[in-house]
Amino acid sequence: MILQLNHLHGKAAAATQEVTEALYGLLEDGHIEQSEFARLRIQLDWLQYKKNFREVVLVTRGQGSGDDPSPIMHVQVDTRQVVTGCLKPAMLRAMLRSDAQSARCAAEDRLALEEFQPFRTSIAWEFNRLFWHRLKDWEAATGKNYQQALPGGQSDANHPDAVADGVADFWTLLRDLENKQRLPAEIFIMEIGVGTGQRCALFIDRFQALDGQRGTNYYPRLRVLLGDYSLHSLDRSRAAVQKHIDLCSFMVLDALNPLKTLSFLRHKILHVHLTNVYDNLPNDEVLRRDGKLYFIQSRAYLPMAEAARLAQKYGLPAEKMRTLVGRLLEGGPDYLGDYERGMGFWMDAWEAMRLEERLVPIEELVDSTFPPGLDVAKLEDILQEAPSDLRFALSSGALESFYNTIPLLYPRGYLQVQDIFVTDFNQYRLGFHGPGKMDGSIVNWVNGVLLREVGERAGYDVHFAPFHYRKGSRTSILYTTQRE
Amino acid sequence: MTLPILPTTVVGSYSMPGWLERLKTEYFVRRISRHDLDEIHDTAVKADIKDQEVAGLDIITDGEARRDNMIDYFVERLPGVQIDRSSKKFYYDFYDSVVQGKLPMASLGLAGDFKFLRMFTEREAKICITGAHCLSKRIRNQHYASEEALAMDLARVFNLELKELVKAGARYIQIDEPYFSGFPEDLPWAVKALNAMVDGVAAKIAVHICYGNRYGKPSWEGSYRYLFPTILGAKVQQLTMEFARRGGEDLDLFKEFNPPFDLGVGVIDVKSHDVETPDLVAERIRKALEVLPPERIFILPDCGLFHLPRDVAFAKLNAMVEGTRLVRAELGN
Repeated sequence: MILQLNHLHGKAAAATQEVTEALYGLLEDGHIEQSEFARLRIQLDWLQYKKNFREVVLVTRGQGSGDDPSPIMHVQVDTRQVVTGCLKPAMLRAMLRSDAQSARCAAEDRLALEEFQPFRTSIAWEFNRLFWHRLKDWEAATGKNYQQALPGGQSDANHPDAVADGVADFWTLLRDLENKQRLPAEIFIMEIGVGTGQRCALFIDRFQALDGQRGTNYYPRLRVLLGDYSLHSLDRSRAAVQKHIDLCSFMVLDALNPLKTLSFLRHKILHVHLTNVYDNLPNDEVLRRDGKLYFIQSRAYLPMAEAARLAQKYGLPAEKMRTLVGRLLEGGPDYLGDYERGMGFWMDAWEAMRLEERLVPIEELVDSTFPPGLDVAKLEDILQEAPSDLRFALSSGALESFYNTIPLLYPRGYLQVQDIFVTDFNQYRLGFHGPGKMDGSIVNWVNGVLLREVGERAGYDVHFAPFHYRKGSRTSILYTTQRE
Repeated sequence: MTLPILPTTVVGSYSMPGWLERLKTEYFVRRISRHDLDEIHDTAVKADIKDQEVAGLDIITDGEARRDNMIDYFVERLPGVQIDRSSKKFYYDFYDSVVQGKLPMASLGLAGDFKFLRMFTEREAKICITGAHCLSKRIRNQHYASEEALAMDLARVFNLELKELVKAGARYIQIDEPYFSGFPEDLPWAVKALNAMVDGVAAKIAVHICYGNRYGKPSWEGSYRYLFPTILGAKVQQLTMEFARRGGEDLDLFKEFNPPFDLGVGVIDVKSHDVETPDLVAERIRKALEVLPPERIFILPDCGLFHLPRDVAFAKLNAMVEGTRLVRAELGN
């Protein structure tokens, strides 16, 4: 058995001890076979997101592959949730439940909201979408701006020094291009995921000032594209950039594929910026176990007790809860007739929702499982230097977005992304990197290693710099340079 | 062999299949032998030839499946250029290469590629060679007084090679100079190097000038206006240029400067996976016919098809040939 301590959180020391005791107890009681025990991996996480998709113990099973088809079991324990004395029964319940899952039937104490599938297509992302589409409603219900849920209570996007440095870099690029007589007549820039529009406004303000100060007269040539899939965000950002409104265009676009909306600007945009978008795009996870790869499929569920509580609180038939959740996601909080009741149901269902998992050997999957720019062969190449036992994010949505954004870049143009990145596979063995819940949305750390590799193969070197503008910030800045 | 009016051809490379990329990388990390890789290349080249024939091209190339990229294939053959073989991560990356002494004259062995191509097709055949200016931008110069001096010496070595190719039967040779667009300030000496390269070479010489196609994206943008009038001094018979992606505005330069060259008109956008319709191709050709007579026009994609998936590249070539036939019919051919 290998016990993998995925964090260095002192408060979890007692829980860690209890894990070992619980395991031996289960072995002695005959709940774990000797042969199974030898192959067992226990991963101990400390989930920093108070709201998340995990119960205290999550057991994930799958069939082995190739020359070793025997079943494998991966046990994850959230040491933050461990209650002294309760771990052994929780572990036993999770093991029995995962047995039931492998027999393709739902455990009796859970109400499945969907079938097992790649996480990126899970109903969890429908909740995420609803949140951004009905952000105004959520904020009204909670009485808080969504940025208040961020660490530090505000977005790093709007840090004036970071914006000023970004403007200075951009101005330098323009001057270089002009010196080589390659500056296009119209200078297109784009921000995807505009939030409140504050960063964009700061950027243009600062750019206008610098341009005026240096007498370069680039400002009137700017064409600023603000893209978001939330109309509410676009409306709000419109007000923020009012001073420069003649230069700005607002568009609803899919961050996964900006090219779909903007193909007429292929190779024409000089600078694309995103903050806190990639961490909120659909994701999948992969487990590497003894050098073999398993895709993690997930299924959203409500603990049965929670389902019953919701049914009673909102006067809904418990047996129709799955259908009701589906309709909420299609119709929004108005669906239940009474808006207040609908909002309450949405927020409570989201909070109660959890994810269970199963493993599928990667060779059973088709290539379409992977985001563009990546396939099994490339992934195996990339993993050659990575640890042989590892659970990591595929960052499917982030890769898709990246891959479908870089063709928009003008030669020597660049992409800049502020987000939370994992830049070394070993980091996945030193902490929990999502998914977590942030208000009504999902947060995932982004696999920067894969972005770097996919970028290189697409002609861009991808670099990461720490966001040094706010002490304690975990944000990094990704920027691309053209690969020769 | 008589060519039809508006002859169709490729700029050089055909689609590089994913499996071949992978096998090249396998060789690079020493998991397959050079012998096996050579055999794989031969097989891939035969398939490339067949695809071009089936698509109906009039002049074909070997598809350049043997080449890692447009630089290393030549740099590796140049005696006197040192290569750091550990400097590549992917087969497609450029080696770090350096020249530290005068380049010796030597055969680069490219005639073998051409003979192989000839063995497997009866169509007219073309070979494409990276030009001296482009190579001088990639090889680190630690010997010559200037980039120009390095380019002139590269031209001297390549001139011999081009003559070897003519001896082997090459009648169509294309010199690739995409870096002209990246370094327009070099043009006066770059044209001198081009002329030295093709001096006394008894073949129809085209020079291909685009805005780059590395990783399937442009390296620069701008107008071909920078070429004029300096390019008029080039001792070549044809310019091949990209017009499909960039639009045909720069075709007017041919009206304005009336250059003595034929024009290879790029009518297929190689940076997009959308397959052009024959009608669109025909429209692009008609636009070129407004500035030059059909006898002086060749039809090509904008650049190499290297980065396009196989099915897309094949479909684009078919559309190109079909669109050309539409225009030929309008011209009574």
